[in-house]
Amino acid sequence: MNIIVCLKQISDLKYIRIKDRKPLLEGAPFIFGDMDRNALEEAIRIKEKVEGTKVVALALGGAKLKETIKAALAIGADEAVLLTDPLFANSDTAGTARALGKAVEKIGGYDLILAGEGSTDNFSSQVGPRLAEILDLPQITYVRKLEVQGKKLRAVRNMEESFEVVEVDMPALVTVANEINQPRLALLKDILKAGKKPVQDWKAADLGLSADQVGAKGSVREVVSNLAPEQARKQVVFEGELKDVVENLFNALTKEGALGR
Amino acid sequence: MTELLVFSEKNDLAFELVSKGREFAGALKMGLAAALLGEKAGAEANEYFAYGADRVYVGENPALAGFNAESYAEALYQIAQKNDAKILLIPSTKRGKELAPRVAQKLGAGCVTDATAVELKDGNLLISRYALGGNTVAGEVIKTAHKVITVMPKTFELGPKEDRKGEVVKADLNLKAPRARVVERQEKVGEKVDLETAEILVCIGRGLEKKEDLKIVEQLAKALGAEIGCTKSLCTDYQWLSEDRLVGLSGKKTSPRLVISLGISGQIQYTVGIRGARTAVAINKDKQAPIFAMSDYGIVGNLYEVVPMLAEKLKSA
Amino acid sequence: MEKVDVIIVGGGLAGLSCAYELADSGMTVVVLERGDFSGSKNVTGGRIYLSPLQSYLPDLWKDAPLERHVTKEFLTLLGETNSTTVGLYSDRFNHDPYPSYTILRAKFDRWLADLVSGKGIYVIPEKKVDDLIREGTKVAGIKSGDEEFGADCVVGADGVLSFIAEKAGLRQPFQPEHFAVGFKEVIELDPKTIEDRFGLGEGEGAAQLFVGSLTKGMMGGGFLYTNLESLSLGIVVGIHSLNRREPREEVYKLLDEFRERPEIKNLIKGGNPIEYSAHLISEGGIRIMPKLYGDGILLIGDAAGFGLNMLVTVRGMEYAVASGVLAGRVIKRAKEKNDFSASSLAHYEELLKDSFIMKEMEGFKNSLHLLENERLFSKYPQAISNLFEKVMTVDGGPKERLYKTIWQGLKKDFLNYQTFKDWLQFRRI
Repeated sequence: MNIIVCLKQISDLKYIRIKDRKPLLEGAPFIFGDMDRNALEEAIRIKEKVEGTKVVALALGGAKLKETIKAALAIGADEAVLLTDPLFANSDTAGTARALGKAVEKIGGYDLILAGEGSTDNFSSQVGPRLAEILDLPQITYVRKLEVQGKKLRAVRNMEESFEVVEVDMPALVTVANEINQPRLALLKDILKAGKKPVQDWKAADLGLSADQVGAKGSVREVVSNLAPEQARKQVVFEGELKDVVENLFNALTKEGALGR
Repeated sequence: MTELLVFSEKNDLAFELVSKGREFAGALKMGLAAALLGEKAGAEANEYFAYGADRVYVGENPALAGFNAESYAEALYQIAQKNDAKILLIPSTKRGKELAPRVAQKLGAGCVTDATAVELKDGNLLISRYALGGNTVAGEVIKTAHKVITVMPKTFELGPKEDRKGEVVKADLNLKAPRARVVERQEKVGEKVDLETAEILVCIGRGLEKKEDLKIVEQLAKALGAEIGCTKSLCTDYQWLSEDRLVGLSGKKTSPRLVISLGISGQIQYTVGIRGARTAVAINKDKQAPIFAMSDYGIVGNLYEVVPMLAEKLKSA
Repeated sequence: MEKVDVIIVGGGLAGLSCAYELADSGMTVVVLERGDFSGSKNVTGGRIYLSPLQSYLPDLWKDAPLERHVTKEFLTLLGETNSTTVGLYSDRFNHDPYPSYTILRAKFDRWLADLVSGKGIYVIPEKKVDDLIREGTKVAGIKSGDEEFGADCVVGADGVLSFIAEKAGLRQPFQPEHFAVGFKEVIELDPKTIEDRFGLGEGEGAAQLFVGSLTKGMMGGGFLYTNLESLSLGIVVGIHSLNRREPREEVYKLLDEFRERPEIKNLIKGGNPIEYSAHLISEGGIRIMPKLYGDGILLIGDAAGFGLNMLVTVRGMEYAVASGVLAGRVIKRAKEKNDFSASSLAHYEELLKDSFIMKEMEGFKNSLHLLENERLFSKYPQAISNLFEKVMTVDGGPKERLYKTIWQGLKKDFLNYQTFKDWLQFRRI
């Protein structure tokens, strides 16, 4: 079975700083988001269960991706295809899906495309469905349990009012929810070997894409502002003797009318 | 005439969008329509007119028998194409959110999901949504002629219902059977809890050591007349509380008069859910926890000591 | 079991310096860092002295992301409501090669880790070592999670509470009096403002140390360093002092109060605090040094106890770099002979004895005893400030003759048996 896992490199938001309401991410290490790692983990689990399975990690991102992708290879992906051409920079979800779509077609011969439900940074959750449409695949989203049954997939989806059990014949595109699995930690020996696995880097031209179909030029959406909301909290902190702090809090809340009495 | 088209598998959420859609459609000189898809979907047509729709498209095709993204996306696409719908508004439910980008892809449209605000600005729609893990709010504009937007529930208020008439159009759809088949649906044993309208909220996080200790939280909630919410760990991971009680980026966005966060460190994924609170209080034993920066009042202390004492104080006062 | 030549446990200054030294040796070297990235768990006041490091990694420093080269040194003795500051500027400090630079570890360590990775060494973050693997007396590798990994030599570079030193049986049990805890805040401030407030030219830096009432009689002191675009402000307090004090003081509260002092407040005004960190500092010196090597194992940096309080400065980083490099040299030699036994690695101790590291550790070995003198942190700074204040005061009445003022001040606070005994102690520094 052939699986392609789509990953998005993001800045580790643990290291975000806000200055004058502007987000600063310089110095933040690059990682793959939570649900991307869930998708990769799921692919490796299928690989362990279904003999002859090959997993290709596919990612679009900046130059640092060459380093970041090693984590995916260390977890168990067999090879990687990267799209780090500067022309792809600042692609929005539509441009990303377009580029990934071409790359998937170039890789060819796949049974399953796995992705996270959404990226940890912006959580638009668009690339999965867009990619499914581009490739004319059925999409199964919000999957919390996935089984491969021969040429068929059986998935349990976490919907608001129900758990929905869905079956589909492959090829198909599946996006996974955070609760589907607990991603493993890479073994040291696999980390050391990761650098030797085949990694290809395809340019926009290799995919038959022109400059105005990708990147900022190929964007259908424009972000006109991106600021932290105004912070207007009082930030009063009570410390000290238990009785006193509880008294102080009670008085403060009463004064605010917050207790509704 | 170009149209603004609303769709939701949940009528009450669609009505919110129709109410606001009326305003946009008027300003942009478009008609306002809604798509009603699936068996017996046309039944509520009059309600749509009452909220402001000019027209409803009713699609009753076997491929639409149960919601599935593939057929519903194609149905919406065909309806939009045929009737020159340039703007599509869909609520940001899970189904709405998986549907919208697929429709957008078919239409060659830009799409913004999880909008927390949509305003008309200089003849265009300015859409706000959380970004960077909830740390910022992004203002976005769609550049293409076709626009697809999914809107968070309760972003728009239900408008007044009026005695209006509209046109019911039977949608002529050419659909293939969906490839994904629903074989079973296990209804969730959910709680009928509405955190979004709660006046007072007590939220509990990883500071709680075991499920039995929820008693302490319930004590405080009772003394306050509060609803109980929680962070992702307690519902999705540990299953100590139902997911209806999840407050945060992937849960409920609340705006109570008072919220008290107990044993919650204050990661952005949670605090996004309490931004709307008038007064925010935090109790945490770690002085450096980010929650204090997001609170009006805080106590640095052990919740196992503070909460019972606070509950006592409230009861006796 | 998989195997490499060298496993370095800890990706801080010592570990990365050792790796850098081994980079062109042809050996497979793996650095295991438990934090998200090198530097994420490292803290310094701080400032690094480059002069001692000229014969260790000489080419490293010109491209290194260091902050400001220090041209002004200040020592401030704090009374309760007054303070005396001695300031030094020297042209010598202001000529390339500059003797010392202020430094921010997260930035520097990451740069060094990238440099080391670029040389073909595996620097692996988020990898915690849980145990050592022994084959008899020999250390044969490490265990991380469920995975066992072998090495000819394991280098313990895992910091002040070295787990590796403990597991290898090289370390004695810790005593609280051997350690201090440092609390630090990085305050973002415009470079021009920094330069104006400290009287510095572009790229020049100031280092200021504080002793006295800020630690409320406990052993310790404060520091303030100018970085390129921020200030590092902090307090160090001896743990033994902290434990002995009734009622107990919280160190972060001390820092809060320190920040409010007029001497500090106006220097940091308008600054934006962006980071808080804390770290343990080894101050026990040579008395608590563990055994530094064994069969297949070496200890470097803080893990080897290479930290020293010299009263006017706290040293550790230079020892980390130098010991890392020396360990690297010893390992290369051991590889040539294919002998990683204790007797082969004993050469490490010989190299250390000849280096500034051990010479200083020896020289300052009695300083810890002096540092236990409470008067150093309360009475003397207060008395000196009081005396200087009297000298500088011109008040209502006619000003007294200077000699009289000074003599009376000295008589009152300094000419007594206790001070004489303290003076004798002072000779040990």
